[in-house]
Amino acid sequence: MTEAMTQPIDILIQLQDLDCLIRDLRDPEMASQQQRLGFALEDIQELERSRELLAGQVENERLLQIYERMSRRFVRVIVPVEGRVCTGCRMSLPTSDPTRQADSATCDICENCGRILYRR
Amino acid sequence: MSSAALPAASRMLFLEEYLRPTLFIPELKSKRKDPALEELVAQVAAAQLTRHPDRVLEAVRRRESMGSTGLGKGIAVPHARSTLVKQRTVVVARSKKGVDYDAPDGKPAQLLFLLVAPPLERDPVYLNLMAEIVGAVRLARTRQRLLDAADFKTFRRILVEATRD
Repeated sequence: MTEAMTQPIDILIQLQDLDCLIRDLRDPEMASQQQRLGFALEDIQELERSRELLAGQVENERLLQIYERMSRRFVRVIVPVEGRVCTGCRMSLPTSDPTRQADSATCDICENCGRILYRR
Repeated sequence: MSSAALPAASRMLFLEEYLRPTLFIPELKSKRKDPALEELVAQVAAAQLTRHPDRVLEAVRRRESMGSTGLGKGIAVPHARSTLVKQRTVVVARSKKGVDYDAPDGKPAQLLFLLVAPPLERDPVYLNLMAEIVGAVRLARTRQRLLDAADFKTFRRILVEATRD
C-alpha cells in the first residue's frame, strides 16, 4: 500500500529520482557501460521536458531553490531522517522536534549539511 | 543481449547477497510488460523495502521510457534509482509463458531481474550488479536451468554458480 506524502516532498523526491536518471544517462561512462551490457538508451530531451514540468509543480519556490542549489553539490538532497539523525551527513539534528512532520508550508532542513529532510 | 558484460576479473561479486526468498517470484501472473513491472515492484513493498511502491514504479517506468530494458534471449533487467527504497534490492521473477517486453529480438522475457537502489553519491555496486546479472544468464543452458529450478534454493545456487563462471 502506498502511503501519502506531503506535496512538496513528494514532488521533490520525484524530481530527485528524475535527476538521478538524467545524471546516469548523461554520464558517458555509465551510459557506455549500460550500452555494452545491451541496454537501449534513447535521447534524454523528453526527460528534460518532464523535469521542467515537474519542477513547475513545486508550490514552495524557496524549497525548490534550495533543492536546485543543493543538487549542484549532492546527488542526495532529499534524505530521510532516522531517529534524530540526518542520513545525508549522519549528524544529529539538535533543534528539530523528531515528532514534527514536514507539511506543505515547512520542511525540515539539516542545519549541518543543508539537505532537505523527510520522515519515512 | 550483449555478451560484453564486464570481465569477471575486473569486478567483485555482489549479486549473491541480494538474492532472497522474499524477493523471488516463481511465476509471474502478468503476460504484459507494465503489469509485470507492477508485480515486481509490489514484491519490494511486500518485503518492506519501500512504503511507496507507486513512486518506485514511476521511476522504473521512466527508465523504461528511455529504452526497453529487455535484453533479448528471454531476459529483462528493469532498473531505477528511487529515493523511496531503503536499500539496493534485486527482485527475481520467472515467467514460463513469457512477458511481452519489447525486446530487440522480439522474444518474450522469461527471466526478469528488477534492480532498484536509492541514489547515492557514489555507487559502483549498482552497475556491477547489472553486469553480474547480464553475465550470469548469458548461456542458454543456464537460462534453461533457472527456468526449470524447482525452488528458490536451487534457483539461487544455479545463479550464484553462473556469476562465478
